[in-house]
Amino acid sequence: MPENINEFYKLLPDSIAGWKKADSPAIYTPENLSTYIDGGAELYISYNFKNALSMKYLDSADNEINVDIFEMGSAPDAFGVFAHSRETLDDRFGQGSEYAAGLLTFWKGRYYISILAYPETEEKKDVVFKLGQTIAGGIGSEGALPPIIGLLPADNLLPETVRYFHHYIWLNSFYFVSNENVLNIGNDTPAALGKYRKGGATFFLLLVRYPDAPRAEAAARQFQKRLLDGAEDGMRPTKEGRWTGLRCRGDLVSVVFNAPDAPTVRAILDKIKT
Amino acid sequence: MKPRESISRRQFIKSASAAAIGTTLLLSGQETTAPAKGGKSRVVLVRDLKVLDENGRPQYAVVEEMLDSGIKALTDMPDPQSAWKTIIKPDDIVGIKNNRWPYLRTTAEVENALKKRIIEVGVKETNISVDDLGVLQNPVFQKATALINARPMRSHHWAGVGSLIKNYIMFIPEPISIHPDSCADLASIWNLPVVKGKTRLNVLVMFTPQFHSFGPHSFNPKYVWKYYGLMLGFDPVAVDAIGLRVIEAIRREYFAEERPLNPPAKHIAIADSKYHLGTADPEKIELVKIGYDKESFV
Repeated sequence: MPENINEFYKLLPDSIAGWKKADSPAIYTPENLSTYIDGGAELYISYNFKNALSMKYLDSADNEINVDIFEMGSAPDAFGVFAHSRETLDDRFGQGSEYAAGLLTFWKGRYYISILAYPETEEKKDVVFKLGQTIAGGIGSEGALPPIIGLLPADNLLPETVRYFHHYIWLNSFYFVSNENVLNIGNDTPAALGKYRKGGATFFLLLVRYPDAPRAEAAARQFQKRLLDGAEDGMRPTKEGRWTGLRCRGDLVSVVFNAPDAPTVRAILDKIKT
Repeated sequence: MKPRESISRRQFIKSASAAAIGTTLLLSGQETTAPAKGGKSRVVLVRDLKVLDENGRPQYAVVEEMLDSGIKALTDMPDPQSAWKTIIKPDDIVGIKNNRWPYLRTTAEVENALKKRIIEVGVKETNISVDDLGVLQNPVFQKATALINARPMRSHHWAGVGSLIKNYIMFIPEPISIHPDSCADLASIWNLPVVKGKTRLNVLVMFTPQFHSFGPHSFNPKYVWKYYGLMLGFDPVAVDAIGLRVIEAIRREYFAEERPLNPPAKHIAIADSKYHLGTADPEKIELVKIGYDKESFV
């Protein structure tokens, strides 16, 4: 297993199916990642990005296949950045992958990998997959999933929708909650979000784990006051007749959004094992 | 906090951000509104199926026709030449601020069509420049008396969308300094002397807008939508607000459910409410549609 990000360059073959590895890879840090990723650096930095190796494979016509390997702060962070925009479940590469129209992404251990070949051709896709297998094989051990996602009740959960984050910006992933940090989400508050579907209704469950119960209670009070009109039972219907419900138990705050009725809110909140 | 926004504003925010949990939306400063000059801000949407060839490449002649139709409708002038004379003078020094993002550019066709009409007004070719990353070092932009702002709209990992408002980010030496809170204060750039009051026209290129981001470089051809459109306006906030409605609608169409942009593109509403750069209120926007109108989403 590579000890550091530079070793991935040595791990990859000098040539593959007529594509040659370019001479020098680029290394990016949190300070200069934005010079490489136009507008996307903050997403990675919000998942404790450490550094990245970027390299190219070129064919005789100078077409490119771009390989980017991101070392994140932890395996949960690598999962989080991978799952951020995941649409499907696919485990062909690493601990979870997605391929669409020339772009392969996957995560394994504390690494998130992107291999990009636009425009897509069958030949390039084959090379992309081989490179993906080589990189995934070179990362010896798997990483742990964020523990908090294990608290999402499995019944009616759409597993491909599970998200993990610790920056409030990602609170609105499926459902607009607020432009502000109404739950005081930060680096020390892991959060999980999942989409549920039952009887034609789609609703969402958010879990946030705080360092201690007082912080959880403070966040819950703030949410109740600002978004639930102070509802003491933590439940409120929206104008559209959907239900939002919050429960704080110990250091865990759970919020259900867009539920079809109050019993659905209570039922899913009751299933959460703290 | 009690709801303070008007119905129309609430409708816009909801449109911009999909479902909300209730009436309370914590958008700072949203209780104030920016008055639109002369009543409503006019936004012209021009669409033509012929603008893209079978490989998705823009066709110059069609782009030029679309721009001409748009500028005529925007200015109420009978022909493009007289329309351009209302916004550009022969002695102007003109910077065309484009966007060079490799996967979805402003396009040379749009840039060249703009340049052609500006030259016809009488502006010397040496007094016109097209630039993106180098605007602060570009002598034409340094002396510019007029700016044309032209870019495609796309989903963006941190700002919600890459917008006309956001396109001026390269006019500050450290673009990353505007990034906190998902680029909420992008409109503040428009108050800097280098750009303030200079923008004569905004062109939002909607030939193939990107409605969803995936992967480190944000782009995937799976998530671009052939919309065949151009939007023109003097008010960048109004044009962005309409563009954003299109992006949100495409997301609903593609994903077959409400799928808010993540993060929300709040910098557009804040450009109105806090910086009074223009209006994001649909009731204060006059939308003029020209050409193909199926699946226009607005």
